[in-house]
Amino acid sequence: MTNVLGREAVSEPLNPLGIDGIEFIEFATSKPQALGAVLETMGFRPVARHRSREVELWRQGSMNIVVNSQSIDVPRTVQPSEHPILSAFALRVRDAEAAFHRALQLGAWDIPVRAHAMELNIPAIHGAGESLIYFVDRYDDFSIYDIDFRPIPSVDPHPPAISGMHFFGIVQYIGSDRTADWVEFYSRIFGFIALPDRVRFGIMPEGLLLQSPCRKFFLQLIEPVDNARYAFGDEHLQRIGLGTPDVMATVAALESRGVQFLVSEKVKSSERGALTKPQLGGVMFELVHDEPAYHDAKQ
Amino acid sequence: MIYGDIGMDTASLAGTLESKLAAIRDAGFAQVMIAAGDVVGHPQGAAAGVRVVRESGLCVTGLEALRDFEGLSGNSHAYKVDVAKSMLDVCFNLGGNMLIVEASTSRHANPDDEAIVRDLRMLAMLAVPLGIRIAYKGVARSRIAKDFCAASEFVFRANCHNLGLAIDAFDVIAARVPLVELEALDPEQIFLVQLSDFVWQEIDSAEERAVTASHLRVFPGDGAHSDDLAIVVRKLDEIDYRGGYSFDVYNDDYQQMPPEKVTARARRAAEWLAEAVLRRALPVPDMERLRPGRGAPDTTGD
Repeated sequence: MTNVLGREAVSEPLNPLGIDGIEFIEFATSKPQALGAVLETMGFRPVARHRSREVELWRQGSMNIVVNSQSIDVPRTVQPSEHPILSAFALRVRDAEAAFHRALQLGAWDIPVRAHAMELNIPAIHGAGESLIYFVDRYDDFSIYDIDFRPIPSVDPHPPAISGMHFFGIVQYIGSDRTADWVEFYSRIFGFIALPDRVRFGIMPEGLLLQSPCRKFFLQLIEPVDNARYAFGDEHLQRIGLGTPDVMATVAALESRGVQFLVSEKVKSSERGALTKPQLGGVMFELVHDEPAYHDAKQ
Repeated sequence: MIYGDIGMDTASLAGTLESKLAAIRDAGFAQVMIAAGDVVGHPQGAAAGVRVVRESGLCVTGLEALRDFEGLSGNSHAYKVDVAKSMLDVCFNLGGNMLIVEASTSRHANPDDEAIVRDLRMLAMLAVPLGIRIAYKGVARSRIAKDFCAASEFVFRANCHNLGLAIDAFDVIAARVPLVELEALDPEQIFLVQLSDFVWQEIDSAEERAVTASHLRVFPGDGAHSDDLAIVVRKLDEIDYRGGYSFDVYNDDYQQMPPEKVTARARRAAEWLAEAVLRRALPVPDMERLRPGRGAPDTTGD
């Protein structure tokens, strides 16, 4: 079958949903304090708590991380367990309802309204494995956190980022021979663009890179290397990529906070990137050399 | 022992889901195509039906069949999308990775090409997160796609990696479709080939063909067209088709026979297919031509 990358261009606007970066990335865990300790070493600070649910907002610079410990009764969604799991990411879009309805028309699965952890009317669809993708359009003067979150007293609501760290992307593990399917999913619904193989970032060269239509972040799709049997549970969001203009300075700053980085024959910290050691059963962060101004300049 | 890429349909058998699966397994099959009604109609409910299939040890080829999906609009489209989602959920829960979709026979379906392509794309997209492939099948009575040639046009235009064809060899033979048409297909685009024979020498009218397709099919080797079937299968092999075969046999007689009698005939058909037609040697244990379903057992029967 024709490779999806070689197909004719779709006559859609380049950014049909008006995507403008990642609003937040969500972890689900039944042990939020343990995950909080990991996030703290990475430079994130807790800034707010949900008024009625077991949900915390952590922040660093432009990055928001939601830690969700609330079970929801929806099939194919993450149930909080001891090992934190990347359970969702939220896209900033021009018009969340319009983006949501367009996604449904193209064949996305919706999540029942108000079943989400945030209790807000944030539209969401199913993503990889048990993960969700939210659409958020209030992120400027008036944010989604202003309504249902209560700021933690005496905490800086906007803690600065260590060494200019920012969301760079998300790594998604997928089944064998599933790259073309997921490329179609992200390109047809959201307008992501598959990058040629020669474009690489960081020190983890596997898989296929998709660039967001706003050019602010990437998704990296990785199939199993050893032709392992396909298993649905194997498809999931695996780790967060953090961009930084100076990887080694960031590594040094994080090491001084207690973060440990992987060192092996294949993986070691360099100016291109670095990978933290997995904690709590698999929570990892990847540092990638990246100048955010570069992405902005390309818009 | 039967090759792992040759399976049979629960729709071919009478009895409970449990007895059907046991008969299929005992006959040496490793693959089974599940008729949705067999699962959701389980006396203890759909969840129990799913559990029975998963515990059977059989690898699920897929679920059949979504019908009259494409070409609708407004409320009827929304309704069919819900039906499709429900079937995809069942297929996913069964551990299957293929949904058979028969070309619409509804007179309300809009035959406009753009509408059909749009709907097939949507269906393929719905199936992506679940890891399911959509096998679109031409149906003689359809106004949209009467055979695999017409179905392949839509599959080609929809251009989705997880959208391909199910080819019903009965339709190829009964309608005397020139085999050269198979050569025009990308073998990767063919997800499944369904095999059956029929007893009549000739089928002259569309009505006769519809009745035969629905009630009078027999297993390959039991009918009058073994040679024609063999030619179709060899042609598929020749164009490098590497997907699976499933016996898709609806027959009023089989519905009145004990399932094990019917599966014995299916087994003979599988042996005929593997040995006489495809000229294979004995299966080797790790042979894997058809991708197994999630958590599936080994693909060879014993």
